[in-house]
Amino acid sequence: MISFFLNGEPVSFDGDPNTPLLWVIRDDFKLKGSKFGCGAGLCGACTMHLDGTAIKTCVLPVVAAADKAVTTIEGLGNPEVLHPLQTAWIEHNVPQCGYCQSGQLMAAAALLTGKPGASSEDVDKAMSGNICRCGCYPRIKAAIMSVAESSLSYDAAAVEARS
Amino acid sequence: MSDQALTRRHFLKASGLIGGGVVVAVALPGCAFNGRHPIEVANAGFVPNAFLQITPDNEVIFYCPSDEMGQGIRTGLATIIGEELDVNPANMLVKAAGSHEDYNNPEFGVQGTGGSNAVRVFYEPLRQVGADTRALLLNAASLELGIPPEQLHTVDGFVVAADQRYPYGDFVETAASLDMPVATPLKAPADFRYIGSEAPRVDALAKATGTANFGIDADLPGMVYAVVVRPPVAGSKALKFDDSAVKTAPGVLAVVPVSSGIAVVAERYWQANQAAKKLTVDWEKRPLSSVTSTQVRQDLSAALEANDDTESSHVGDPEKAFAEADRILETDYYTPFLAHAPMEPLNATLRITENGADLWTGVQFVGAAQGVLERLTGLPRGDIKIHNQFLGGGFGRRATLSHIVEVAEIAMSIDKPVQLLWSREDDLRHGFYRPAAMMKIKAAANNEGRITAWQARRSGANITAQTMKNALPGVLPSLPTGLLNGLVGAMDYVFDNWAVDASSVEGLHETYSLPSYRVSHATVDHGLPTTFWRSVGHSYTSFAVESMMDELAEAKQLDPVALRLKNLEGKPRMQNVVAEAGRLMTAMTVRKNHHLGFAAHSSFGTDVAQIAEVSVTEGHIRVHKVTCVVDCGLAVNPDIVKAQLEGAVMFALTAALYGQIDLEEGAVVQSNFHNYPILRMDEAPAVDVVIIESETHPTGIGEPGVPPLAPAVANAVYRATGQRLRDLPLKLA
Repeated sequence: MISFFLNGEPVSFDGDPNTPLLWVIRDDFKLKGSKFGCGAGLCGACTMHLDGTAIKTCVLPVVAAADKAVTTIEGLGNPEVLHPLQTAWIEHNVPQCGYCQSGQLMAAAALLTGKPGASSEDVDKAMSGNICRCGCYPRIKAAIMSVAESSLSYDAAAVEARS
Repeated sequence: MSDQALTRRHFLKASGLIGGGVVVAVALPGCAFNGRHPIEVANAGFVPNAFLQITPDNEVIFYCPSDEMGQGIRTGLATIIGEELDVNPANMLVKAAGSHEDYNNPEFGVQGTGGSNAVRVFYEPLRQVGADTRALLLNAASLELGIPPEQLHTVDGFVVAADQRYPYGDFVETAASLDMPVATPLKAPADFRYIGSEAPRVDALAKATGTANFGIDADLPGMVYAVVVRPPVAGSKALKFDDSAVKTAPGVLAVVPVSSGIAVVAERYWQANQAAKKLTVDWEKRPLSSVTSTQVRQDLSAALEANDDTESSHVGDPEKAFAEADRILETDYYTPFLAHAPMEPLNATLRITENGADLWTGVQFVGAAQGVLERLTGLPRGDIKIHNQFLGGGFGRRATLSHIVEVAEIAMSIDKPVQLLWSREDDLRHGFYRPAAMMKIKAAANNEGRITAWQARRSGANITAQTMKNALPGVLPSLPTGLLNGLVGAMDYVFDNWAVDASSVEGLHETYSLPSYRVSHATVDHGLPTTFWRSVGHSYTSFAVESMMDELAEAKQLDPVALRLKNLEGKPRMQNVVAEAGRLMTAMTVRKNHHLGFAAHSSFGTDVAQIAEVSVTEGHIRVHKVTCVVDCGLAVNPDIVKAQLEGAVMFALTAALYGQIDLEEGAVVQSNFHNYPILRMDEAPAVDVVIIESETHPTGIGEPGVPPLAPAVANAVYRATGQRLRDLPLKLA
């Protein structure tokens, strides 16, 4: 029995501990937002957060998530309460086919959590593990940068207010 | 209620009774409510035709006849119908249409999406549906309110009378009792509120929140999972196999031989995936089994050297013109096999019960998917429902049916709903491919740069014949197998011997006005399955043609843009596109060690020119920026036009820099993204798009951005290095 937190809720899984986390989330917990793209950790469609770090779950045995916090796209935001990145995604008309976008968003969210004012180079570096076959990269980047820049100005305003 | 075999009038009454709303039918071209109603009517409200449903609480639902694979068609067609219905597409619920002949693609005659034609072919029919429905609602409002229709108007889903607003939903019951107006006049473009505006995609929210459903997300009670072990060489049959270790693996429920290989069915996907690795199979040898990529290339060259190609088209007397030319350029260009690699691997979920079959998948060819299930299951067509989901990429790959055949064969042998999923390895190794092409272009121009003679020859596998072989069982579900095989054989014979598949040579001459040309083709088919790949024949012909245009310009010491303009007489739209791109190119400030390359190409009715800004460092080609100029007629949603060009640049650049499917002993070498790389963000160029303002009928946009990119980059690489690269992918010596 492997127990972990899934989007804040305690859950447990009783199957093969080597099953990749992606399939446990999709087939056992029925959260379908995270996608299967390559099964080899090469495309990032399956990206989730493990204790806040972006991780490719198609090659991560579920046992590696034991006692940790797993966050999926369903835990990032929802159509009623959007994460700022999701708002930016819609404002920039980012998605085309949309299949990779959950993974893109999870990778971007982890980046901005660790580095709210990420630079263009930071974004390139952090996002280059996520393939978009439709080629939405310019818009993905613009959307992330818009949030990074607004958080910078927010931080600057906060610093100013404190001083 | 059984809704089969209802007449239209019966249908109207029956639905009105159960729904509390009303349904009326309208005869649109190819839209006749024959047999089963296309829309699942439950508390339906007002269903005036196959495309629209308006509920009493004023929800406007649009059933989109084209498949959404990223190209933005749900937004585009919602905009078109919404314009005339006067409902903001953002306020509509847009759903995938079910499978029904009312949704047939007007040009294909079956329900399907491809050829960048959806906006072009549905532009007028859907505006008419919207306009007629709006007129009907106004008539109903007039009756109910006692106000003449000319004193009423509409604003975004509301009928407005003086200072009162009434939701459309208020009038649906009355509307159902009236005759549908026909041939209602359409708006003048100057009055458009939605068409031509940059509006958000209707699917952006779902796709930004992980709530958009793809085929892979189907999840039925009691569903089991299947994978198929396929032969390394396409078309091989299993001579014998040993499944003893498979059957004892955890979760395995069945091992099912299918026409394409051996299926392993388990309680969970991961169990099926793991168990399948324990299967040992002896596969038969095929002629393809000895083929390598090197041999493919040699055979394609040899076919052109043998000079027994079949003419596709000609104008004038190119041989005479060549004889009169003072200098002739003749050059070979080669492009490899390519895989589509959509992000969502192929999958299909099928449930067969005594009441019929339900398929959840993502296909570009709903009509043929339904047909192939009809053929394989023997169920009446009306009992087979295709629940087409969002497609996680298509690019032509999802117009093939092999995964539908597989899931049907599996589901018929086990008594449970089954989800079939291909792995990425399956996708890259067992697919249908953009065929390799050898192209020999011979050209002569006078000193002003006017081309006097042009000969373009291509060798390789046919595209259409192979695609149709795959699709025919579904397109003609009632044709007996014997006749079907005969037809397939005849098609091969025809294309091998005396007809040229237009898709295989498209783009070899059409962009320019050539006073004399000859286009011909030699079929060389090694047996690797081929099909349409985003922009089809144009994906390789543009590389040859636009490289040759640059070579001609150099030979004549002319500016490459000026040379192209010299050869666009009588093609005002492309002339304007090239001229505009030329102006932009002249005005560009180019950074030190950066070089510009130019290319233009017409495809799917749309004219595109691209300027690639490239640098080469230690043999590494880096594309910094691509500027696109496009004339696609009226841009229904300019932001989606831009997005399609941005995406096409990335798709084509992936092919130009990396794309290569190789064969060793007939088997595809590439297996996943480590050896079939896709462009990533850190390599992605900036893309600028200039859309030529136009009010002419819209033309294609999903594909036309692909063809010019590779030659634009190759032409820039030549300027950077002096190396003229005539093979794709581009590799410096």
